[in-house]
Amino acid sequence: MTASLDDVMVGSTVRVQDVSGGDAVAIRLLEMGVTPGVEVRLVGKAPFGDPLELELRGYRLSIRRQEAARVAIGDR
Amino acid sequence: MRPAMTPGSLTVALLGNPNVGKSTLFTALAGIPTRVGNYPGVTVEEKIGRFTHHGQAIDLVDLPGTYSLVPQSPDERVAVDVLRGAFAGVPRPDCILVVADATNLARNLFLATQALEVGLPVVVALSLADVADRRGLRIDVPELSRRLGCPVVRFAAPTGEGVGRIRDLVLTASSGQPPRPLDLERSPAPDGRPPAAIDAIARYVAIERLLEGVTGAVRVETTAEDRIDALLTHPVWGTLIFAGVMLGMFAAIFWLAPPLMDLISSFMDGLSALVARMLPEGAVRSLVVDGILAGVSSTAVFVPQIALLFLFVALLEGCGYLARAAFLMDRLLVGVGLSGKSFIPLLSSFACAIPGIMAARTIESRRDRLLTILVAPLMSCSARLPVYLLLCGAFVPDRAAGVPWLPLKAAVLAGLYALGVVVAAAVAWVLSRTLFRGPQQPFVMELPGWRWPRAGVVFERSREAAWSFLGNAGTLIVALSIVLWALGHYPKPAVLPAGGGEVADVRGEALRQSFLGRAGRLVEPLVKPLGWDWRIGCAALASFPAREVVLATLGVIYNLGDVDTESADGATALERRLKSARWDGTDRPVFTLPVALSIMVFFALCAQCASTLVVIGRETGSWIWPAVTFAYMTALAWLGAFVVFQAGTWLGW
Repeated sequence: MTASLDDVMVGSTVRVQDVSGGDAVAIRLLEMGVTPGVEVRLVGKAPFGDPLELELRGYRLSIRRQEAARVAIGDR
Repeated sequence: MRPAMTPGSLTVALLGNPNVGKSTLFTALAGIPTRVGNYPGVTVEEKIGRFTHHGQAIDLVDLPGTYSLVPQSPDERVAVDVLRGAFAGVPRPDCILVVADATNLARNLFLATQALEVGLPVVVALSLADVADRRGLRIDVPELSRRLGCPVVRFAAPTGEGVGRIRDLVLTASSGQPPRPLDLERSPAPDGRPPAAIDAIARYVAIERLLEGVTGAVRVETTAEDRIDALLTHPVWGTLIFAGVMLGMFAAIFWLAPPLMDLISSFMDGLSALVARMLPEGAVRSLVVDGILAGVSSTAVFVPQIALLFLFVALLEGCGYLARAAFLMDRLLVGVGLSGKSFIPLLSSFACAIPGIMAARTIESRRDRLLTILVAPLMSCSARLPVYLLLCGAFVPDRAAGVPWLPLKAAVLAGLYALGVVVAAAVAWVLSRTLFRGPQQPFVMELPGWRWPRAGVVFERSREAAWSFLGNAGTLIVALSIVLWALGHYPKPAVLPAGGGEVADVRGEALRQSFLGRAGRLVEPLVKPLGWDWRIGCAALASFPAREVVLATLGVIYNLGDVDTESADGATALERRLKSARWDGTDRPVFTLPVALSIMVFFALCAQCASTLVVIGRETGSWIWPAVTFAYMTALAWLGAFVVFQAGTWLGW
């Protein structure tokens, strides 16, 4: 069982291992730069803990927990 | 007929991600667009400008903002089709001008390197170069240009840096060769990933290699910008600030607009009085003063609010707050079956539902898009604002609501806006659990960097909104004022009350027997439970094609019964007239607080806009959806007005 991006602590930085699936969501995540090997910092969460604010490749991206669950992560 | 492009001119396509300053570069190069419209067959905005450089005419085609040339939304599809030359009337471009955000280079080069593969010459403009400098982001532009195999220019809007060079390069590139695509090492897909996914992974690997030594390390320290961002997207403080910003916006409109409105109003009063003195008593004077000038006045007087509202919206958008609002609001919108991306279309609908419905194209999911479109007309658009302002101003007591700094009038106004939002939420919730049952749609949204809004862009948005209100809505209002004036004057009554009677009685009888009066009396049993007299019924009836006309209609209707024809027009005169309106044959005033509230609630919820329904039909490709929208909104409007009037009367307001 690998960890995914939806159960990361606010403020921590992780490295993306993979994005699962080949549907429109997976393609858009990859196109936005959430690719294997990239470092992602969880900047914060919106009210009620969803969606998430991420920082990667020098910019900010917002995705929902549901999408974040598809991003497998490892240690930096 | 679509005007043809200039013969012998070059065509340059402007390509870029959303929010990278594409419009700013467009304006810097070509000024005001020469052609704004829709691409044939699809409803995506087409914007074309023209400039001449060294004697060569160049047509600049602004493509919709896109993240990728593997399209997922209709907007992105259009960008790809124009580049392929697949649109009649838009020749295949001679050159692609890619706008890439210098502060977010890796992500922006994703699209730029895809552009290299189109087979057309490419020029890359690094926008926000000044912001990148301030953040200490160093970019080796000549090296980047060498590695990409195409010209790269820095562009900074405040100083105009790069504009001249972009013109030069676009001209020379157009007659040159297309660049060589970037080498991608696409790994074979053992797990059956689609080509687009394999391409994206390989492309970022190539971009990382390309940027090595070209840019400094990405910043890691906390900046002031990060602290602002942390505060504004904070679950508690961010939400409180958001509520404060929205409330502040409406309070400011109430404080700032009246002096400007008074100015316009007194000017129109003077003009009406002047015209009334110059023309002889009769049908012509009545037409000019009570029909045309009254219509113009009731339109012009609301320009300050519309301009102010758009000023605030453009400011919020320009500094990057709108995307944060979508971020903050997403959970709430998901709760009712919408998404954070619905926020911008819905917020735009506060100005006008038409651009709002069109903005829903940015929502990739068809289900979310349709739901957003169906509830967008419930947002209180600027055409409702005049009704709210007039009735709040005249009939809501002049005192504070709980806290001293918040006038009750402003609280009622905010309440009406909130009503639209709450009803929209309820409708969306019901629809998403009945007609639109299905899995939750994805949400992947960029949060653009915080930056100072550009004054030029902000004022242009505000000017454009006011101008289009005056131009489109205003023309319609004046035209309908004249039609209504005629409907209220003709046919002339066959029999006048015996003995002549008071002048007002004669005029009242004339209106009663006119076309408008007859229609109003026909619907009277329907509107009586809402606390309305037949005149209000007339005004509401006349407002179904376009709600903008309601004030003009009320003006005409109550003007006809008014003895004092010399009285000047304008909102304040209309207020006086409404206050003196009485139920036929009694001393009981028509307009009480419950009646005013009932009218406002009706207008808040009713689908009184033919253009909106037409746009819904066009955007959804079906006439079922406008019919559904019209039916549910009209039913809700009557119900809402009924409840408010009955409750208000019972509570003794």
